[in-house]
Amino acid sequence: MGMSSGGSDGMQSEINVTPLVDVVLVLLIIFMVIVPLTMRGYDMAIPGEATAAPAAERELEQIVLAIDPGGCPLVGPPQAEGLPAGCNVRLNDDTLAATELSAAVAAAFAERAEPDRVLFLAAHDRLNYEAVMRVVDLARSGVEGLRIGMVTEREPDSPAL
Amino acid sequence: MQVSNRSAVRSAINVTPLVDVVLVLLIIFMVITPQLQSGPGVDLPVTDRPQDRVDEGRRIVVTLDRNGAVWVDDEPVPGGGFAEHMRGLAEGRSDWSVVIKGDAALSFGDVRRAMLVVDAAGYKNVGLIAERREGAGESG
Repeated sequence: MGMSSGGSDGMQSEINVTPLVDVVLVLLIIFMVIVPLTMRGYDMAIPGEATAAPAAERELEQIVLAIDPGGCPLVGPPQAEGLPAGCNVRLNDDTLAATELSAAVAAAFAERAEPDRVLFLAAHDRLNYEAVMRVVDLARSGVEGLRIGMVTEREPDSPAL
Repeated sequence: MQVSNRSAVRSAINVTPLVDVVLVLLIIFMVITPQLQSGPGVDLPVTDRPQDRVDEGRRIVVTLDRNGAVWVDDEPVPGGGFAEHMRGLAEGRSDWSVVIKGDAALSFGDVRRAMLVVDAAGYKNVGLIAERREGAGESG
């Protein structure tokens, strides 16, 4: 069973690299499993005095997406994937179901060139973070190059910071 | 140009290029890994279409765990010291981007306040990190 040591065939001049390849491949697979491939996420813009919008941009009407716990009961962590059925959000003055959000945002930004596509997010502080990110994800899905801006003024009903 | 190769047929595959490629891949992964795993593990929010972020290497990772504790890169920041810590780091690094890894169980207010602190410290680019849902379509 391979224990014979009387190898009288020609001398092998090359190193046997097979075990090396095995070890390296296993290490590679371990690393590939551990590493989440890339960081993914959402860029946020926080308008402030230092980064005032150019004059041309300020003349455009701002489009504000408002989410509050009254319309969208997402205070605890969402259990299921996606959003609950009864979630309503406001896009400027219109109240609409979250499922229609992608189309509504696409319609609202249809006339604008890419640098002017900024959606302002006014989400209530008590909402669950993941739920808000899912709403943002839906809103972004219909528009190419949409940037998300944070509304920094407090909503009247937000708790004090 | 006549083919006169009469030597014995080599039966072994030449694995040297394979080993080269695999070793290089291994080294790339080993270099990338510590950058990606800054701070403690948190349950990131899971969404359908997060953007791939360009890994420019010049970034600060802020991690917020579900208990409200804050890490900046690999260091825990004691309670209340976050704003000062970010201001201190911002010296000469205000063009770096800051990414926030917030636990999915946090409230939006916790993350928003962290963003305001980062903004007040003078950083221009802030991103929120999410995880793509398994099986979600590739788009956006």
